[in-house]
Formats: sequence, structure tokens, C-alpha cells
Amino acid sequence: MTHRLDAPAALRALQNDIYREQIRRARQLTIQQRLNDVFDLSNHMFGMMLGGAMHRLNTRDEAAGWVEVRRWMGRMDRARDHGFYRSDKPTAP
Amino acid sequence: MRLEELALKVIESAEAAGIDFMAVGAIAAGAYGVPRSTRDVDLLVSIEAPGGVERLAAALAPWVEFDPQIVFDTITWGRRHVGRSRAAPPFKIEIFETFPDPFVQSEFSRRRQVFVPMLNRCTWLPTPEDVIVQKLRWGRSKDLDDARDVLAVQGPESLDMRYVEEWCALHGTGERLRKVLAEIPPLD
Repeated sequence: MTHRLDAPAALRALQNDIYREQIRRARQLTIQQRLNDVFDLSNHMFGMMLGGAMHRLNTRDEAAGWVEVRRWMGRMDRARDHGFYRSDKPTAP
Repeated sequence: MRLEELALKVIESAEAAGIDFMAVGAIAAGAYGVPRSTRDVDLLVSIEAPGGVERLAAALAPWVEFDPQIVFDTITWGRRHVGRSRAAPPFKIEIFETFPDPFVQSEFSRRRQVFVPMLNRCTWLPTPEDVIVQKLRWGRSKDLDDARDVLAVQGPESLDMRYVEEWCALHGTGERLRKVLAEIPPLD
């Protein structure tokens, strides 16, 4: 059974609608409100990650949850930054 | 600790250390584009004040543990100091030093002061045009998304696109610029 969004054009139209809505909302905000949103979203993200880590570990120990979140973030850094940074700078030819 | 509390400590410490700076990364991109979550407080700091970076790192030591090893990014070979918050959540602080790169010098000279209510103070940000050029230059997927979002939210018609295009031509990122512009659907 096919879904209407299996058609690339329909999927693209939906993606465009969602993106237009994101942009419309962002345009309604002042620069100060957008900056506040960055902080709010970031704090919320870490709250959700802590909840996820504690669930994965099956623990109510927040400290253990944060250790796991820190480990996840370390893995993400290594993946994202792979090949992007070096501890030595090549000398000019 | 909340991200804005750490950002405030970083900004106050930079000012106390007597170094010129501006916030870059997700904070700058979010100011002009679509706000997104981040774990980083990224600063581009001037190296004009001798020992300024070291004073900044020392002032932040109660909250931030910096890696002893400085690293260089492989695109511009700029120097980067990486620190991680000692307490949870595991925020990251990245301090990028200015260096004699024409674009870095240009974007830093054009920085602007913006009041941030959540910090109850002003801080320094790049212009939206400089965020776009920088993000296209770095070119990771999240950088390209940020560049597209700033272009979409601000609107090319309200931006100095000649400035953006000239730097992109110099950096060889003109094709990236055309691609992210093409990704923006008609908005009206």
C-alpha cells in the first residue's frame, strides 16, 4: 500500500510547507527573542537528554545520567569533528 | 547550570580580561536565523591584548576545564581552545583566536553590539552577512543549514549580498551559496 508522501513531489511540498512555517515564525521574533530561544532550546535539550540517559541506564541517579550524557556528547564531538581539527599545524612550504 | 549562566560568565570574564570578542557559532546563527539548541558557547577573541586568552581561561577555571592542547581547524588553520563545563550539563566552550586572515579580520571589525534580555546585558555578534560567509566556509551540514536559515529569515533582499558573494568567490564557496539559496522555497 502506498502513501501519498511516497511521491517525491508530495514529500517535497510538505517539507517546503514545514520550512516556510519555521521561517515565518522566526521572522516574527526579534533578535533578542531568537537569542532567548537558543538558550531555552539548549537547556530543554539537555533536560531531555538527561531523561533519555537515565531511562537507558534504568536509574534515578541524576549524576549517573549526566555521566552518560557527557559520554554521548564526547562521541558526537568525535564524529562531527573528525578530520576537522588537528593538534599540529603544517609548516608553510 | 543553565547555558545562559555559563554564557554570562564567559562574557564577563572576557570583558574583565580586557579582550575584544564576539559570540559566534549557534548563538550567532540563532540570532539571525532559526533558533536551534546548542551545547556550545563559541567566542572569537582578539589576540591584540597580550595574554588575554590565558587570562580568560584562568578566569573561567572554576567552571570550565580547558584542554591543555590547542588545536587548529583544517580549513583556515585558526587556533582553537576547547573547554568543558565542570558541572552538568556538559556544555562546551570554544575560544577561537583572531589571526591574519582577511575575512576573519573583516568580520571582527564589523561586529555589532546586541542586548540579550536573558543575560540582561549587551554582547557582541557578527553581522548576518558574516555569519553566512563563515558558515559556508566551514561547510559542515549544520553550517550549511545555518547559512540557509539566516538567508531565509533575513531575506537576501535585506542583506548585503554583494559582500557575501565577494567573500564566497574568494573562498571558493560560491557553489555552496547558490545551493543553499536554491533550497529556500518561495516564502510568500
